[in-house]
Amino acid sequence: MTALATEPRVRTQARRPEPPPRRRHRWFVPLLFVGPALVLQLTFLFLPLANTFVLAFTNASTIGGGTFTGLANFTELMSDTTFWHAVGRTFVYMLVAVPALVIISTCLAVLVNTRLRGTALVRPLLFSPMVLPLAVIAVVFQYLLDSDGLVNQILAGLQLVSEPVPFLSDPDLALFSLTAVTVWKGCALYTLITLAALQNVSAELDEAAQLDGAGWLRRTVGVTLPQIRGTTVMIAILAAIATLRVFTEPYIITGGGPGDSTQTIVVYLFQKGISPGTDAGYASAISLVLFVFVLTVSSISWLISRKARA
Amino acid sequence: MTTGTAREKLIRWPLMLIAVATVLGPLLWQVSTALKGAGESTVGFPGTLLPQDPTLDNFVTAFRQIPLLRYVLNSVAISAMGMATTVVLATLTGYALARIAFRGRSLYTTLLLATAVLPFEVILVSTMLVTRGLGLNDTLLGVVLPQAVSIVAIFVMRQAFLRIPNELAEAAAIDGAGPFQVFRHVMLPSVRGSLAVVTVLGFLDSWDHFIWPLVILSDPAKYPVNVGVQYLSGTFSADQRVISAAAIVVMIPPLLVYFLMQKQVFRGLSEGALKG
Repeated sequence: MTALATEPRVRTQARRPEPPPRRRHRWFVPLLFVGPALVLQLTFLFLPLANTFVLAFTNASTIGGGTFTGLANFTELMSDTTFWHAVGRTFVYMLVAVPALVIISTCLAVLVNTRLRGTALVRPLLFSPMVLPLAVIAVVFQYLLDSDGLVNQILAGLQLVSEPVPFLSDPDLALFSLTAVTVWKGCALYTLITLAALQNVSAELDEAAQLDGAGWLRRTVGVTLPQIRGTTVMIAILAAIATLRVFTEPYIITGGGPGDSTQTIVVYLFQKGISPGTDAGYASAISLVLFVFVLTVSSISWLISRKARA
Repeated sequence: MTTGTAREKLIRWPLMLIAVATVLGPLLWQVSTALKGAGESTVGFPGTLLPQDPTLDNFVTAFRQIPLLRYVLNSVAISAMGMATTVVLATLTGYALARIAFRGRSLYTTLLLATAVLPFEVILVSTMLVTRGLGLNDTLLGVVLPQAVSIVAIFVMRQAFLRIPNELAEAAAIDGAGPFQVFRHVMLPSVRGSLAVVTVLGFLDSWDHFIWPLVILSDPAKYPVNVGVQYLSGTFSADQRVISAAAIVVMIPPLLVYFLMQKQVFRGLSEGALKG
């Protein structure tokens, strides 16, 4: 979560000119500073990354062995309907969760962007899910969405339903119940980011519009929100990447079921390569496809930010 | 931003209450369930939302029947190590990237930026093989090391070091301070704010980790709380009261850190976001 929040800054800073050259040091000085992190990254980042590209073209198992099999994994993947269903589900997840996250976060940020008394108390409460472990949130919601969980109790108490809604046991409904959990947790961070952007918006345009007699809603939609368009696009991209990687919610809450109705790309990758499967080659091929999806979404964000700058 | 007129209060307050209720509701329900006695029904609305006869028995059971304390200690160990490595490595690397001219610096910076978008799941299987190859599977070190370097933290620290004026370092160097003395006595004290941010985020991140410990640990006695609680809810206990009590125990440390360090967390997160 935090990784995503700071990433855009990282990108903008990189384009700035490098700082003026500092004094030269003895050769080992930079090594002492960079060395420890570099060793860990070579071992646990660059080596595994390279290894993923190699494994994807072998029939290696996680137990060992394996020979070069060329594109066999990929041709198998092309006709693997289970995989494409997982891809489809992951994209459905994205298409539901991303708009929901963006719209709700924007509304919440506008709502708490006020000097009204009490807001200072509301904000930290509203953002608190951001720091709660997703795995534990998932355990909580497993009960919450159960047939006699809180949600069904409220619906029954308000006499909205006569039968408990099978949020997690109905194959058509389960995936959407999971997106609700993702949205509940994700809104905290994205609202915080949007609120930060809103507080940087200049008040002058708003005041001018106010003098022209525009109402609050028109000023918000027509004047304020267009000024934070960059942030809105950014949280949409961050949310899209996060939904491509979704794992914890389906793994804990539904275990990918009922049937395979909530099996997402990473759940399938996990099942093939880690547990119960041990097919490292095939899992690596899935990893690479996932990587391509993430790169596509990232390059869209890059294109948008470049266009915005031009 | 508008000032608090009566009409604004009328519109904003109910909406804010709904939002807060949506966030707090599930958590309060969890607390209520955890406080309910064994004989008390956990279902029924709204009658049984408040425990009739609040008891702490479920917390006692959670600690006694299931190895919750062990899980918590494992998590504390993992988070402490994760926090320490994040802070130390980010400080050293961020400093080098910001203020030491060395060959390959821009290449390394580019490489870091490129891998910042790489999802961990993509290298999950290979990282497991490497970690196992090093004999680190089923060890806490194996949980910590692969996620010890936070690229985000490195860049937060790099930004902090870039902001320090040149004159400060030069003055110290002219006074005869070596590179490590400059780093220790001039640079580090100037970035205390960012160090606090990186520390807090390092802790929260480690406490949140799930998929990696799940993959690399096979001995349940080594599980951190996140993995432990879901393992319990799946296998051992069908008693929702005990699981709720355990879940609350897991949530307390990050919430505590969050509410104590709110200002730093917000500053760190929004600084990152603002300039996007």
